[in-house]
Amino acid sequence: MISNLTVAILNGVVWGLIMALIALGLNMIFGLLHIINMAHGALYMLGAVVAWYFIELTGSFWIALIIAPLCVGVIGLIIERGLIRKIEDKPIITIICTFGVMLAVQQLVLMIFGGSPRRIAPPIAYRFPIFTLQYPLMRIMIALISIGLMSGLWIFLRKTKYGLWMRAVVQDREMAVGLGIPVNKVYMWTFVLGSALAAFSGVLAAPIVSVEFMMGRDVLIMAFIIVIVGGMGNLEGSVLAAVMISLIQGIGSLFVPPSIATIFALAFMIIVLLVRPQGLFGE
Amino acid sequence: MFLQKGKSFGFILIFALILLVLIALPFSVDLFYQTFLTELFVWILFAISFDLIFGYTGLLSFGQALFFGLGSYTVTILIRKFGLNTELSLLLSIVIPILFAWFVGYFSVRLTGIHFVIITIIFAIIGNVIGDTWTSLTGGADGLTFSPPPFRLGFFQINLMDIKGNYYFVLTIVAISFLFLRRMIQSPLGKVFISIRENDERARLIGYNVQRYKLIAFMIAGGLSGLAGGLYSLTLKYASAGYLHWSVSGHAVVYTIVGGMGTLIGPALGAAIVMSLEHYLINFLQATDLVVGIALVFMVLVAPKGLVGLIQSRLKRGKTSA
Repeated sequence: MISNLTVAILNGVVWGLIMALIALGLNMIFGLLHIINMAHGALYMLGAVVAWYFIELTGSFWIALIIAPLCVGVIGLIIERGLIRKIEDKPIITIICTFGVMLAVQQLVLMIFGGSPRRIAPPIAYRFPIFTLQYPLMRIMIALISIGLMSGLWIFLRKTKYGLWMRAVVQDREMAVGLGIPVNKVYMWTFVLGSALAAFSGVLAAPIVSVEFMMGRDVLIMAFIIVIVGGMGNLEGSVLAAVMISLIQGIGSLFVPPSIATIFALAFMIIVLLVRPQGLFGE
Repeated sequence: MFLQKGKSFGFILIFALILLVLIALPFSVDLFYQTFLTELFVWILFAISFDLIFGYTGLLSFGQALFFGLGSYTVTILIRKFGLNTELSLLLSIVIPILFAWFVGYFSVRLTGIHFVIITIIFAIIGNVIGDTWTSLTGGADGLTFSPPPFRLGFFQINLMDIKGNYYFVLTIVAISFLFLRRMIQSPLGKVFISIRENDERARLIGYNVQRYKLIAFMIAGGLSGLAGGLYSLTLKYASAGYLHWSVSGHAVVYTIVGGMGTLIGPALGAAIVMSLEHYLINFLQATDLVVGIALVFMVLVAPKGLVGLIQSRLKRGKTSA
C-alpha cells in the first residue's frame, strides 16, 4: 500500500509538471494576447510526433527534445503571423479559428503519421526500487527537466528585457505602446514560446504515454482546467494548480474509480468558474 | 437581402421550391443517397439550433453536443429499454434536453466571453464521461442499437425502418423546425436576442433581463439540438457516448461559420456544402477533417460572414452599380 501510494504521488508530481509546462504555454498566450488557443493540444501532439521522426532518424531522444520544439515554434510563428494577427481583436473568432487549426493539424498528422499509436522508448531504461516496486529513473529526469525549464522561464520573465516587455504588455498594453515597446513583436514571440513549450512537453510526455494524433485532445481540456483553477494570466498559479490537480487525481484514483474522480474535478471547476473566475490563487 | 422585411414572399417561394425538390428527390436517387440526405437534414437542424445561440444571441457554446447526445439517448433508451412509442420518445428528446439546458444554462449564462465557452465545454465533458462510464444504461463507447416502432399520429403512420419513410419523416420535422426558428427570430423575442448579441449592456439598460433571455435562447437551442439527436438516432437506429463528446459541437460551429452565422439559411447551406465536400473527398483522402479545418480557418479570415454574407455583398454591389 505504502509503495503504491508513493508511486501514485511520484506519478502525480511528474505528470503535474508536464501539465504545468503545457498550461504555462496556454496561459502565457492567454495573458498576453487574450485568446484561447484551441490548437494548443494539437501543438503538444505535434511536438511528440516530430520527436518520433527525429528519434527514428538520429536515434537520440535528447536531440529530438531540442529540435521538435524549434520546429513547432516555427509553426507557431506561422499561425500567429498568418492567422491570429488578422483577427486578434475578436476573441471568440480566434477560438473558432484555432479550433480549425486544431482539426487541420490533427488530420494532417493522421494522414502522414497514421492513426495507430506508437511508442517512444525512454532513453534511460534504469529503474530504481521504491519499497516493493520499481520506478523508472526517466520519470524523475522528466520532472527535473520540467523544473529546470520552468526556472529558466522564471528568470527569463524576471531578469531579461524581453521578459520585462512581456510583463509590461500584460499590465497595460496602451502604456507599453506609448513607451516604445514593440508590442507586435512581443505578441509574436510569446505565441512562438507558448507553442514551443507545448511541443517540449509533448516530447517529455512521449516516453510515458503513447504518441498518436488524438493525444492532445484531452490534454487541451486538462490545460484549460489548470489555467482556470490557477487563474487566467497567473503563471505561478498554473504551476501550482497543475501539480495539485494531478496529485489529487493520482492519489484519488487509488481509492475511487477514475471517472468519478474526473467528474468531481470537473464539478469543482464549474464552482471555481462561478465563484472565483479569477482563479483560486488570484488576488 | 432576400432575408429582410418585405421579402418574405421571396423566402416562401424559395423555401417551397427547395422543399419540392427534396420531396421529389427520393424517386431519382438510390437508398445510399437517401440516407445521406436524411443525415444532412439532421445536421442542418443541429446547425440552425446552434445558430440561434451563437449567430443570433452571440454565445459560443461548445456544449451543444451534450444536448444532441441526450436527445439521441432519450429516444434510444426509451424505445429499447422501456418499449415506449416513437412519438412520445421523440417528444421527450426535446423536453429532457430543455430541462438539462435549463440547468446548464442557469450557471453558464452568468459568464461571458471565453468563460462561457469553457464552462459549456466542461458540462459536455461531464456528460461524455458519465456516458462512457455508465455502460449498463448507455452502452458506453460501443453504444446501443434499437428498432423504432412506426411513428403514429391519428391515422397517419410512417414506418421508420423504411429508408424512404424515414427520409420524409426527418425532412418534415426539420422543415417545421426551420420555419419555427425563422418565425421566432422575426418575433419580438428574436429581436431581444439580436440586441443582446449586438450590445448586451445596452439591452440591459433598456430594461431587458439579459440573463433570462440568454437562458431562454439556450433552452430553445438545447431542445432543438436534442431533437436533432433524437432524429439522428431514429435514422441510424443507434446511439453512443461518442455523441456526447464536446467536439461533436464542432460540426455545428463549422457549418455555421462556413455558411454564415445569424442567417439560418447559412448554417443549412454550410452543412450541405461541407457534408457534400466530405462525402466527395472521402474517395481520395482518409482525413476529410483536414479540409474542414482549412475551410474553417479560411472562412474566418476571408469571409467572416460566411457564404451567405459573400452572396449578399455581391448582390448589393450588383444593385448599386446597376
